Amino acid sequence: MFKQFINNFLAGQVYLITSLWIFLIFFLIVAVLLIKMDKKHITYMSELPVAEKD
Amino acid sequence: MLEKFNYDNKIVRNFGIATIIWGIVGMTVGLLIAMQLFKPGMNMGSQYTTFGRIRPLHTNAVIFAFVGNGIFMGVYYSLQRLLKARMFNDVLSKIHFWGWQLIIVAAAITLPLGLTTSHEYAELEWPIDIAITLIWVVFGINMFGTIIKRRERHMYVAIWFYIATFVTVAVLHIVNSFQLPISAFKSYYLYAGVQDALVQWWYGHNAVAFFLTTPYLGMMYYFLPKMANRPVYSYKLSILHFWSLIFIYIWAGPHHLLYTSLPGWAQSLGVVFSVMLIAPSWGGMINGLLTLRGAWDKVRDNPILKFMVVGLTGYGMATFEGPLLSLKQVNAIAHYTDWIVAHVHVGALAWNGFLTFAILYWVIPRIYKTELFSKKLATVHFWIGTFGILFYAVPMYWSGFTQGLMLKEFTPDGMLKHPAFLETTLAVLPMHVYRAIGGTFYLTGVIIMTYNLVKTMLAGKLVANEPAEAMALTPVFTPHAGENTLHRALERRPIQFMILSLIVILIGGMVEMMPTFMISSNIPTIASVKPYSPLELQGRDLYIREGCVNCHSQMVRPFRSETERYGEYSKAGEFVYDHPFLWGSKRTGPDLHREGGKYSHAWHFNHMMDPTTMSPGSIMPPYPWLIEQKLDISTTASKINAMRTLGVPYEAGYEKTANNDLKRQADEISAGLAKDNIKVGSDREIVAIIAYLQRLGVDIKANKLSSKL
Repeated sequence: MFKQFINNFLAGQVYLITSLWIFLIFFLIVAVLLIKMDKKHITYMSELPVAEKD
Repeated sequence: MLEKFNYDNKIVRNFGIATIIWGIVGMTVGLLIAMQLFKPGMNMGSQYTTFGRIRPLHTNAVIFAFVGNGIFMGVYYSLQRLLKARMFNDVLSKIHFWGWQLIIVAAAITLPLGLTTSHEYAELEWPIDIAITLIWVVFGINMFGTIIKRRERHMYVAIWFYIATFVTVAVLHIVNSFQLPISAFKSYYLYAGVQDALVQWWYGHNAVAFFLTTPYLGMMYYFLPKMANRPVYSYKLSILHFWSLIFIYIWAGPHHLLYTSLPGWAQSLGVVFSVMLIAPSWGGMINGLLTLRGAWDKVRDNPILKFMVVGLTGYGMATFEGPLLSLKQVNAIAHYTDWIVAHVHVGALAWNGFLTFAILYWVIPRIYKTELFSKKLATVHFWIGTFGILFYAVPMYWSGFTQGLMLKEFTPDGMLKHPAFLETTLAVLPMHVYRAIGGTFYLTGVIIMTYNLVKTMLAGKLVANEPAEAMALTPVFTPHAGENTLHRALERRPIQFMILSLIVILIGGMVEMMPTFMISSNIPTIASVKPYSPLELQGRDLYIREGCVNCHSQMVRPFRSETERYGEYSKAGEFVYDHPFLWGSKRTGPDLHREGGKYSHAWHFNHMMDPTTMSPGSIMPPYPWLIEQKLDISTTASKINAMRTLGVPYEAGYEKTANNDLKRQADEISAGLAKDNIKVGSDREIVAIIAYLQRLGVDIKANKLSSKL
């Protein structure tokens, strides 16, 4: 059935639009995670390489 | 509990030295082939040093030997310090180091011998592919072992880039190495034609992404804050940049195949994601450059920061140009020309080269507990290197525009203005000379750096085991209020992190590849396309051995300028028996897909013996050894068998009689040559390659003829 479906649809449009949706959803998830992140943690993380002495 | 331990600096030093040595080797080979592009005699008359065979040596040496060792140097230095732990296992580190060097030596031996798969940047034959897989796994175990025994709970962004690099390169390498071996150093790809092309450029594009880009971004995120002594500009941007980059990059491969026989939807998908790619790429560059905010005074007198600034700028230029080149209108002119050579060298020389030099200048004095021997020499290196890049890139851009436009130029009467391809080559030859001068500058800089670093090493003493101390991790993590977000949790779980990265990078590849492999209508079959005759098959393998694909495409794009010049445009169904595909990516010479029947056997013979007799001024090297060497027909049966296994419809038992057909066809060609007073034995390699060239693209011509009748 899957093959039948994949044989018949308008490949171009569907692929492009689906791909864009996949990316958009992924991007939004990352963005939400970022907004929810703790500021203190961010500062701690960004100072990791500098904090360590040579 | 405070724990005392040692960082392993010896492995960092070893990878550093290997980076320098292979850098010089790879760039010297690059210079040698650059000179062959205006003076073919620079091949010294030997088949082992001719362009087609050593161009892959140059690319493999600079990518996997120079940059590869550079990655391992940077990763082994930064990983230990970011995780506050020694590398997991010293023996694994040693196996990794020596294994990788052995692979490079194997490449340096096999490529000049013509043992190649012909897939760009994946030319090494199957036994070496297996060795690469094993050593890569050793690297992975060593890296994850270190991550697991770490003393720092959270993984800094650099480590995510290293994990993504490890997992994606593994996937790319395995998928692009599915080959059927027929002897110790010869194999055929499982995929054919369009599918092979899609897999190869999915690999090729993402080798740039995950070998030349992500590990270097990781290194940038560690070393740049260290060098400038300030934290990265925006850590949040680095997270967004990381996930977007690894997600989007994997989709963009088809932009290497615009206007080819690849299905249109796959091409469009490649273009869309290539354009989107500019956002995360520039996110990374901006994050790097802004890390230097308020520290620009340091850049003035610190050559290491100078290298970083130009490196990052080069990254920005190359990643702006990439999306631009993926637009079909731009690609139509730029593809197959020196423009692409300029593009990749801006990335390679500035981004990879300069970042590597900066890290070497920074790391070596530190692990030798001394100062850099001469800051002045490092500054000289910076300027000579920068001029080298300019002298390299500008002439190549000029050459690319000139040739791309000349090839498309028509007279008012509608005829090609430059019908002879050679005319356009001759027009850009001076640019090839300037390019070699640019390369010489760059290489000179590297030699100055080598002297500087050797002097530094001699002045200090390697601290092989650098003492350090850190608190041990408590086994259970109890989150404080409000800090248990999903991404924080992920940063503590390396294996889950790896799996998530894997899923993210698999999505794009699967959406593009599965339909191309599963839907038959994507590659319409053509009844008149038949498998190669045994002699043609042998000739095709000689074409692969000599690396003809490095200068000649086999893909006539659907432009009037190309169909006028070469003939009917190429169809997907014409390549169904091509294991591997040989579409090529650069036209230093003309396209050959419709070469069959265009010239006589005698023309090809004379052209191979000395191209300038047939095409005065040609920069193609002579191939006298094809006339001297006997064709090895002991492999015919195994080749026919292998092809049948891969789905090429040779009749059962044909391998037993294939050599009879081979000899019959060879005798015909030899007799044809004799009519033109050329006496050559039918058992010579030249006969097989003529047979192959005469076959190219004729199936469609036959089809047209029969439909007219």
